[in-house]
Amino acid sequence: MSEHDASRREFLVRAAVGAGAVAGAGLVPETHAQTREQDRKAKSETNAPAGVLNYIDLALAGAYADLQDFYRRGLAQLDAYCRKTYNEPFVRLSATRQDEVITALDEGKAGGFTWPTAQEFFNTIRTHTMEGMFADPIYGGNKDFAGWRLVGFPGAQAIFTPADMQSKQAFTRAPILSLQAQAQGPTRKE
Amino acid sequence: MASEKTDVVIVGVGAAGGILAAELGKAGMKVVGLERGPRLTTADFTPHDELRYFQRQELRPNVKRQPVTWRPNANARALPLPVLNYGNQAGGGTIHYGAVSWRFHEDDFRARSQTMERYGAAAIPEDSSLADWPLTYADLEPFYDRAEYELGVSGKAGNLQGRKIDGGNPFEAPRRREYPLPPLFVDQAGAIFEAAARKLGHHPFSTPRAIVSQPYRGRLGCTYCGFCQAFGCHIGAKSSILVTKLPEADASGNFKLLTGAMCYRVNSDNSGRATGVSYYGPDGEDNTIEAELVILAPFIYDNVRLLLLSKTARFPDGLANSSGQVGKHLMAHIGPRVFAAFDDRYVNIYMGPSAQRHSLDDFNADNFDHSSLGFIRGAQISVSPADLEAGPIGAAVSMNPPPGIPRWGGAYRDFLAKYFARYAGLTAQTENLPYADQTIDLDPNVRDAWGLPAPRLTYDWRRPNELKRVEFMVRQLEELGRTMGATHVWRSPPGQGAPGAHHEGGTRMGSDPKTSVVNRYGQSWDIPNLFIIGSSTYPSMSGFNPTLTIQALAYMSADAIVNRYKKNPGPLA
Ligand SMILES: Cc1cc2nc3c(=O)[nH]c(=O)nc-3n(C[C@H](O)[C@H](O)[C@H](O)COP(=O)(O)OP(=O)(O)OC[C@H]3O[C@@H](n4cnc5c(N)ncnc54)[C@H](O)[C@@H]3O)c2cc1C
Repeated sequence: MSEHDASRREFLVRAAVGAGAVAGAGLVPETHAQTREQDRKAKSETNAPAGVLNYIDLALAGAYADLQDFYRRGLAQLDAYCRKTYNEPFVRLSATRQDEVITALDEGKAGGFTWPTAQEFFNTIRTHTMEGMFADPIYGGNKDFAGWRLVGFPGAQAIFTPADMQSKQAFTRAPILSLQAQAQGPTRKE
Repeated sequence: MASEKTDVVIVGVGAAGGILAAELGKAGMKVVGLERGPRLTTADFTPHDELRYFQRQELRPNVKRQPVTWRPNANARALPLPVLNYGNQAGGGTIHYGAVSWRFHEDDFRARSQTMERYGAAAIPEDSSLADWPLTYADLEPFYDRAEYELGVSGKAGNLQGRKIDGGNPFEAPRRREYPLPPLFVDQAGAIFEAAARKLGHHPFSTPRAIVSQPYRGRLGCTYCGFCQAFGCHIGAKSSILVTKLPEADASGNFKLLTGAMCYRVNSDNSGRATGVSYYGPDGEDNTIEAELVILAPFIYDNVRLLLLSKTARFPDGLANSSGQVGKHLMAHIGPRVFAAFDDRYVNIYMGPSAQRHSLDDFNADNFDHSSLGFIRGAQISVSPADLEAGPIGAAVSMNPPPGIPRWGGAYRDFLAKYFARYAGLTAQTENLPYADQTIDLDPNVRDAWGLPAPRLTYDWRRPNELKRVEFMVRQLEELGRTMGATHVWRSPPGQGAPGAHHEGGTRMGSDPKTSVVNRYGQSWDIPNLFIIGSSTYPSMSGFNPTLTIQALAYMSADAIVNRYKKNPGPLA
């Protein structure tokens, strides 16, 4: 997206990486077999797994543009908290420490947050990460249906038959249905 | 600034307004409907998109443009509610509702008397304003029947003219005839719920829904896609006002719908007669309509707000508010939940109409003995996906993981991966009592996109009677979950006092002008050519979803207007 100026681009990447790192830690199917360390390394590079980063990036540039400040302030407070507690920003912390930080956010125990509060910040990042995992791929996340495949959701099927409804087994009938075929979506070109 | 004249103006063309528009139009009255939202079509509802409609709530009132604020008590600061449970376009809430469609019980209309007769006056909490309705179930039965047949409701009778029928709800009030359509096909969540409830000696049944299970009146039958709650139906199988009453209103030749029209005032003259309404048009222009009859049906917030915004020298506390009751006795359902997850089978709860699917009524109303329970009135229990909506975003944001698993990280991923297609939610929809200090007024700090003060709710359900009821119901849900054979059964965290779905009260009906705002027809005691329709008129709320009763009352009001008021305009009571 050429209209992204460098600093906004950096902010968005940082926001999404932060978000992915905070809430998506371990949520992502491709990394199922990897260790947490490899997982984190992959995430702090440019592309968040399953496209969560891409989703949040696009959302913050569009539908959630009014939350840019929320993210900016939230991430600044997060880093201030991590530096104060561990002398390092969040992304450089070890897996165990990151987990401690996330737990503190989740439970509202991380100090120094004013607006957004630690819990508001965590809840929003969590929600947006889930959206990136499970929204239709047309919004930039849920890459190759990674999220839907993970949980076994077949997308927007127009019909379920009585046999489908009576089954006690996993529903596996292909294809997974998405909006891609029906509309031209916000695809990214770097 | 445009000005026009008509016989009737209806503000809000939703569940109730759409019925009045069609019925009065067919009777030859010239009707103008003011609807702040657009008029969409069935084709607009494809493709189904969980992010757009469930998560970003595209069909619902926008919480930024049309905020409704809430505070738990008069000393707290009110903040905008994150989700609004009513409509925002022609057809109103019926476009995106779950379509669960109940008739209230006989004792729902006389909860006060019923309680006093069975348990004594002391059983009613002292501070509750619980009151009988000024009408009985029998008065409303013909209009329930019309609503079910004209709109199209699928279900199985449990009480045909007093005869109990197996497979239906044996606690339902007597109905004159079967439902117009057979029950919807039972999904797996419903099947497991049914078996467990029977084992426990309860009386489960397929929830009646305004979704046609077969082709009906030119409409297609349900395809069980699962996109109901928060979505528009892509084939028109949901009996929304858009595909039922609006075509009738159009065909009458007497109905004009103004979309993008935001009513902000009811006008009245010195004699206290309503003369019409003022509204902002799509481009913000200020318009008026003069009408012989003014009908408010914009849901409870604007029923109250419009009266409060329309005060005059004659009505300094709000139009039609000589009783001082406008804005009082706010009620709402809350829905304590339990989740059940299965290791040995799939449930695939995303299949089939999404909202309360299979129900039991054994713990609703006064269907069970409350003598030793320490609370009165009950809850409707059902099996549903996490937020009555069945996609993975809904599960991720609305289903708390079981104790010991955090909401994030690898353990959470594994939980969701394993159980998304293997869980069922159990919900109790509680009948919370009315209390006079639960109110709707005008927020002094927050304004909507039109510059009008936002409706402000002051409400906290956590009263002794309500807390005991919730605990009792959650135990029933846990027992059901275990009996269903679930590997894991766990509670969702208790709410923080906020009102849940289905808001009622604010312009209560009664038989005494001193203690109520309207009569049984929704007609203002103070201003006979002003009708106020919707759940704002409910004196008590029932554990059942409200809309079919809103619609039956709209039919009853329309009938009274057409057959009596039209010939002789004046008080109907
Ligand atoms: C997701 C969801 C699921 C639901 N599921 C169920 C269910 O399964 N069963 C059930 O019984 N109920 C359900 N409900 C509730 C149901 O939608 C409402 O009870 C019902 O729509 C209320 O009817 P009404 O006519 O009073 O208001 P509405 O149907 O909301 O209609 C009011 C209309 O007035 C318009 N309006 C408001 N203010 C103004 C104004 N100032 N000027 C002009 N127009 C205005 C609105 O845009 C709206 O279209 C659900 C609601 C939601 C949101």
